[in-house]
Amino acid sequence: MNTSLRKSVFVGIAGLSLAGSAAGCAPGQASSPQATSAAPSAAAGAASYKDGTYSADGNYVSPNGNETVGVELTLAGGAVTGVKITPHPTNPNTRKFQGEFAGGIQSQIVGKKLDEIKVSKVAGSSLTSGGFNQAVEKIKSEARA
Amino acid sequence: MPHPGWTDFGFDGIGTRWEISTPAPLSGAHRRRLLDTVADYDAAWSRFRPDSLIAGAARQPGRYELPAEAAALGPLYETLYRLSGGAMTPLIGGSLEQLGYDANYSLRPGGPPLPAPPWDEVLHWQGTVLTTRAPVVIDVGAAGKGQLADMLSGVLRDGGVDEHFIDASGDLLNAGSAPVDVGLEHPYDRTRAIGVVSLGAGALCASAANRRAWGDGLHHVLDGTTGAPVRTVVASWAMAASAMTADALATALFFVDGSRLQQEFDCSWLAVHSDGHAEYSADFEGVLFA
Repeated sequence: MNTSLRKSVFVGIAGLSLAGSAAGCAPGQASSPQATSAAPSAAAGAASYKDGTYSADGNYVSPNGNETVGVELTLAGGAVTGVKITPHPTNPNTRKFQGEFAGGIQSQIVGKKLDEIKVSKVAGSSLTSGGFNQAVEKIKSEARA
Repeated sequence: MPHPGWTDFGFDGIGTRWEISTPAPLSGAHRRRLLDTVADYDAAWSRFRPDSLIAGAARQPGRYELPAEAAALGPLYETLYRLSGGAMTPLIGGSLEQLGYDANYSLRPGGPPLPAPPWDEVLHWQGTVLTTRAPVVIDVGAAGKGQLADMLSGVLRDGGVDEHFIDASGDLLNAGSAPVDVGLEHPYDRTRAIGVVSLGAGALCASAANRRAWGDGLHHVLDGTTGAPVRTVVASWAMAASAMTADALATALFFVDGSRLQQEFDCSWLAVHSDGHAEYSADFEGVLFA
């Protein structure tokens, strides 16, 4: 049985988080369930969810208009068996060709596990995964049996 | 720690975790001087403390005499205010409070986004003296952490500790003789890095839109002309000789093209956008994983 729920929700920053999760696990390919760290928590509380494929969109307004990403979770037997994140950028390269500068452009960032690379220091600001978790909560409430 | 055999001195200050690494353990006197410097900075600049110097300006207009470091912050903010067309401003505190990032951390929006007041209308910043014409919530958060890192580095140098590495929760200052390999944290996954850069003498600071996000699209990088959060750049890194400059430029990259910043500052930069693409200056060439 496959139900498909297409919902447009205003999740703001969630859209960003979702896009990033996609970038984190090789964009362009469907992410494997274990590649998305938040997925297992969606399965917590198991058996109380109906099997099916659920999707929710995250929208946010960029200075150049709306941008949207979609997250699709497949649930089977109360567990998440698939996660697919689809960026649908309406303004894919908004700033890509703006002006010239010495340096370069990379079309997609690629994440590598920190324990696979040898560094003693990390520069960045740690993740607040609230956005992704919000979308997952939304899907959980939709999917509750 | 950045090098094998070095020791760390960790403490909390100005709302963040600090780790200072040195080849040999710091003496009690050194530690005390570092902590005093942190306490003094907080007492002057924290907008979360009703007794801070800067908190007075939020209550009533007037003339406020600030410590020596104000003389460096003012011109830096003025330059970035100009380059960003008013988007990056120390007067952003009121907008942050409006969106819930207030002294009580209510994290509840108090209403629609509130633009910051125009600099010329309310603030005259001359050296260490701020003269205000209206109550203003000053927030130097975009450069303050970096500036404090520079000041702590100065304290160590004055105390004869030339070799050290300061990690202010991801904003880094290397005052050691050897470069340090630094991972660039993935903006959406703290267990991953998107590249590794070698940090020689100098600072590397980062800013990300997802840090301290507390609601639908509400995060702490605000555009001063609208008072609303910025959405296109999601993570940025800047390298410069001083941590104050690197810290401020990391935020400025949310509003201003890196190439434009390079015309005014001796810096290197990397910006990741919401669609996952990255733009960078020559020094970041080959740094990102492909």
